[in-house]
Amino acid sequence: MYLAEVETRAVQATEVPEVTSCTVKWDSWPASTISHHGQACCEIAREWMLANDFSQLGDAAALTGPRWLPKKYPWGPSPWPMHWCEAVGRKKLDCGAHQAISQELFTARGVQSRPAQFVQQFSEEATRHWGHKWGEDQVPAGWIDGDVIYHEGCAVTVEGDEIKLWDASAGWWIDPQQSGGYGALLSVRILDPSAEAPQTLSWGGRQLALNRWNTV
Amino acid sequence: MKIYVSGLYSGGNPQPGVGITRSLRQGYPDATLVGVEYSNRSSGIHWPELDEVWLQRPWDELNLSAHGEAIRALLDGGALWISGSDLETMWLASVFPEGHANLLTPNAAALARITKPQVEAHEGLPVQIPPYIPTDRSDWDLHAFCRKHDWRVWLKGPYYDAVRTRSWDSFEAVRTTLAKVWNTERLFLQAHVTGYEESVMLCAYEGELLGCVRMRKREITEEGKTWAGDVSEVDEAFLTPLRRILRELNWTGGGELEMVRDADHRLWLLEMNPRFPAWVHGATIAGVNLPALLVEGATGVAAQRPEPGRGEFTRVVVEVPVRSEFPLPPLPEHLGGGTGHSLKHPSGLPALAERLHKLNVLDGGDNETSSGGDAPTVPNTMVEDLLAQDFNRIETPAWVFMESTAADTFKRAAAMAHTLSTNQTRVTNAYSIKTNPDARLIKLALDSGFMAEGISLLELHKALEVGFRPDQLILNGPGKWWPEGMIPKEQIHAVFCDSAPDLKKTVAALNSGELKAKIVGVRIRTPHIPSRFGIALDTPETFKSLVESIATLPEDTGFGVHFHMASSNIGVKAWWRLFDSMLRWCQSLERLTGRTIEVLDIGGGWFPDDWHSVDHSDFAKAVKRAQAALPNVGQIISEPGKAMAQPTMALAMRVLETQEEDGEITEAVVDASIAELPMYFHYPHRVLTQDRGGDWKTLKRGKSQLMGRLCMEHDVVAANIELPEGTRAGDVLVFCDAGGYDRSMSYVFGRG
Repeated sequence: MYLAEVETRAVQATEVPEVTSCTVKWDSWPASTISHHGQACCEIAREWMLANDFSQLGDAAALTGPRWLPKKYPWGPSPWPMHWCEAVGRKKLDCGAHQAISQELFTARGVQSRPAQFVQQFSEEATRHWGHKWGEDQVPAGWIDGDVIYHEGCAVTVEGDEIKLWDASAGWWIDPQQSGGYGALLSVRILDPSAEAPQTLSWGGRQLALNRWNTV
Repeated sequence: MKIYVSGLYSGGNPQPGVGITRSLRQGYPDATLVGVEYSNRSSGIHWPELDEVWLQRPWDELNLSAHGEAIRALLDGGALWISGSDLETMWLASVFPEGHANLLTPNAAALARITKPQVEAHEGLPVQIPPYIPTDRSDWDLHAFCRKHDWRVWLKGPYYDAVRTRSWDSFEAVRTTLAKVWNTERLFLQAHVTGYEESVMLCAYEGELLGCVRMRKREITEEGKTWAGDVSEVDEAFLTPLRRILRELNWTGGGELEMVRDADHRLWLLEMNPRFPAWVHGATIAGVNLPALLVEGATGVAAQRPEPGRGEFTRVVVEVPVRSEFPLPPLPEHLGGGTGHSLKHPSGLPALAERLHKLNVLDGGDNETSSGGDAPTVPNTMVEDLLAQDFNRIETPAWVFMESTAADTFKRAAAMAHTLSTNQTRVTNAYSIKTNPDARLIKLALDSGFMAEGISLLELHKALEVGFRPDQLILNGPGKWWPEGMIPKEQIHAVFCDSAPDLKKTVAALNSGELKAKIVGVRIRTPHIPSRFGIALDTPETFKSLVESIATLPEDTGFGVHFHMASSNIGVKAWWRLFDSMLRWCQSLERLTGRTIEVLDIGGGWFPDDWHSVDHSDFAKAVKRAQAALPNVGQIISEPGKAMAQPTMALAMRVLETQEEDGEITEAVVDASIAELPMYFHYPHRVLTQDRGGDWKTLKRGKSQLMGRLCMEHDVVAANIELPEGTRAGDVLVFCDAGGYDRSMSYVFGRG
């Protein structure tokens, strides 16, 4: 299932966009993944992404975020479903695409990474502009709810159960010290359906339960 | 309570005086705060929370003894002094060697132990010091340091200033500037550390830590200065050794440890400042008022506690009224052609540095600026080669072929290729003819088992004339088919295509039978490193196009990949990373095209010392990685480039005239020029001269300029060299390391 598919589902209007109501709304949203046509077109595109990341990383540590990705493909509306051959040809990519590609890049580097879903606070002013922008491109904007948004990123394993959260669209590591306000992370869900996955992960001193929303 | 606070400069790279003042006003609303400055151009004197301003003349005009006595009188009278300037702190430590109960600055012994870059006192803290080299080493060693650290280095002044120098010419220019500003040759080069910057700010009184905070920079100016940050507690693992160190140093005053945290979470200590940082009031806003804690520790008078903040602060630009007693001075008339601007150091801190050098307060003393650093060493073979020449019979300027050096260079390279070869993969050297097309070198290459690499058909024919067989030739470069009609009739070893049209043309020539090559390949340009050569891989479109083009290559030729980047320009580690990057792209090409890669051709532009003087473990490991990534690679062609040619020739020149000032030679004109040394700006050359006893000596860095014979402003073949006493017209100087592009790119100029 892709971001676009779930975005097309009717999103019930809520009153006050509280964290719990938002996480309920986005509870059924899976993390985005890029599709593969099973042909050379997607194979070449995927190889280019992985080899390019290897070059861009240079001598930096494998835990360095793939900052080049949002630089080459700035954040913006993306139609879904999305295949590799389409992703490399786009001018902009949304957070789902950034997350899905970064996920592959970290994995190719030998770094464990899991998809992470975020609920973030902004302002009605900000989300109105985003809604307009998405509307212009005729892409659904179910990720917006009042002054709160749904966002995706990567939960990258540092060591053992300790993780860092990479915002693949912004190109920064999310600060575990959150104090609310504009841009604040309200809730996070890290997905890992595998049986071997630990029950909780440690993020800057916080314990985050896997596969469910954690209020920050 | 009366507190004097200095360091009120508030430009883009501000001093902490205003921040200290704001914090003290919060902690002691009724205290009398006196701002101390040495220039009425420092805008901090107008900060409204200052009760008084004690304005002194700039440091170059001050009577230091009288100023010291005036401060002593203030301190004796019960006033406190908090310095916001490193140099003022050092000077005060010399004025008050035993300290003073009211002087809230570190003592001289403590300052000596935090001198950068080694910061001796850091032992025990969970930090590392980035690699560094003092600039009193020879230029040869400094260049090697830059290559080793991939030219990601900072040239730093002894007290202030740090400039990123990405090339030799920029390093030389910045070195000249910083040495002049700070009146010292004691600068240092330090390797860059990538990461996030953070600091620990502290205050202590007579060795007892009173408080400290950690600050992470969250917004940074172009100069790397803090614009916003978050403040938090210092963890115990840092705090415990810090407390011990401050006790050992008997530290009094503010302080700051500036650090970088890398992606692996390691902390690197850049410097320890003997004062509060300019962001000091940011911590007060966050709830920790260290200047007030310092005053409280020194006086026992309880300070008003700040309101607990949310741990974050930022700067804004604020206009304040100018004090009526200190009206703005006029802006100085700009120099012809320039634009008027404020001074970087209006209080004359460089002048203070110069005076402190003369007073031996700072390292080095009055005479240290005459230090020319170490003289570089040269291999014995070079001296032997020079001793074999009769320079009395040589008309200068003249190229000197360093016969035994050349023989030794090629012998080493041949032995290295032999050692690195395995049953699976043969390592073959190739001589890049463009680096020096001298037939003696091409013949040496042939006799040493090299292949010959040409970038034009003329170069291939030169190799054939010297004795190479066609199957020992490699054709490369963007203009390889020039001139027309000279493609060898016989099969050559390899052709590497530089662009998509080149690949198309090569395929056509192969299909028509005009060209016969055992291996046909592509030169690839990996992303992230700027280059004009090779097929770019930085967009998915060009990569797709390359994959499709490779499919058009004839099946009956072998396939190879070539990559070339000057190691001397990008650095040694960066070159090997590029090698790995190339392997990664090769794997993709094999996977997507179905063509196996049989030959890897890798180059080049190695600095000779990096190629010949180190063990070959990097290369040996690289061969193994290549075999693992590309199991069908049977040959790795290694093109060391100028590493072969550069040491093999020297340029001899004669002094035409000398000019002296105060008994020292400041300038000498020589009969050579940049026409014979076009690479002068790109790397240092070792210069030798024969002493009266006939021994050849390398020259150190000094204060003389060697001017070329041309009427060209930039014809300076050595900007800072120490000519031997008694140097006169007719003396011979020999510039070694001139056998590479100096020789092959030299041009005829000014000869009629």
